[in-house]
Amino acid sequence: MTALAVSNVVLWILVLLLSVVVLALVRQLGVLHERIAPAGALMLNRGPPVGEPAPVLEVADLEGHAHRVGAARADGRSTLLLFVSPTCPVCKSLLPAVKSSGKDERAWMDVILASDGDTLEQRQFVRSQGLDGIPYVVSAALGLAYQVGRLPFAALLDEHGILRARGLVNSREHLESLFEAKRLGVASLQEYFSGAL
Amino acid sequence: MIDPAVGAMLTGAFALLFVSAALDKLRSLQGFAEVFRAYRLLPDGVARLSWLVPALELTVGVGLLARRSRAGAGAAGAALLVAYAAAIAINLQRGHRDLACGCGGPHARRPIAAWMAWRNLLLAGLLATMLLPWIARPMAAADAVTIGAGTAVAALLYMSLDRLLAQVTPRTAPLRGSR
Repeated sequence: MTALAVSNVVLWILVLLLSVVVLALVRQLGVLHERIAPAGALMLNRGPPVGEPAPVLEVADLEGHAHRVGAARADGRSTLLLFVSPTCPVCKSLLPAVKSSGKDERAWMDVILASDGDTLEQRQFVRSQGLDGIPYVVSAALGLAYQVGRLPFAALLDEHGILRARGLVNSREHLESLFEAKRLGVASLQEYFSGAL
Repeated sequence: MIDPAVGAMLTGAFALLFVSAALDKLRSLQGFAEVFRAYRLLPDGVARLSWLVPALELTVGVGLLARRSRAGAGAAGAALLVAYAAAIAINLQRGHRDLACGCGGPHARRPIAAWMAWRNLLLAGLLATMLLPWIARPMAAADAVTIGAGTAVAALLYMSLDRLLAQVTPRTAPLRGSR
């Protein structure tokens, strides 16, 4: 009977270890899939073409500062235009990534948030999400110019006012794919892959 | 009639499942309220009471551990699981495949899938065994090993399967065609 009891305990220990190994393996598989999967901002086939001058628009942010979005900039900085809305849940989850990306890339890029609708609601949104440092533009014309259909939508303009990348961004990875697109000089992931093959 | 060691193992595993699910939801009640509304099964007025779901889960999880409340908690838990399965099935029927399931914590935005409904039904079936009376027999030290290790292994295997089905399988599917 002792032999049986000992074998039982040993077996339990081995089964436990095995379960831990299986869990670790599955986690590794998940990580692996995340790494190998291509991720990029979804580019929709409408709106201003990438690689050409972006529409120039004069807009004012909530603080009252004027911005000439799309114009060539003398200081050589690029602009990330991000279209958000207080009613879009994905936007809220993306905002921390926008803030930290804005900080990481501040050497060469400014962030402008753009929205459309009731100003009071927008102010509340800015306050609740802690967006005080970032220019927040409320303009329907801007959204129309870029033909924004779905949110959150981002457009990256370089120092000459050329549209470098644009697309639907749902995650930090998508957002960073826009920076990568500018760095590599390709408009989209599709173009990158067709060039690589 | 089921053996008390098997019964205790099941009880422990389900208590873990319900308490961890409740804690995941309680960590972000607001996020869960959004998910709850997105299911679009109850009017918005009722959706304000979405905090009742984790509260109920917690009650079931704790209730399973006490002998007197075990049967009641088991029945309530099984009903809850069947309700989740129905909610998922109804939304899948409506074609809402990109709906966040609301399981696995506030940051796991995993979409609902058919296997989740089947899993919940299977779990509900297992949980229904809580209604059965336990055989009265003296418990030995070996039973403690069986219960403790069995519960741990069940939890680990559940986590593995959950990850495998939710994160790995959907991503492997598109790769299969491109050989």
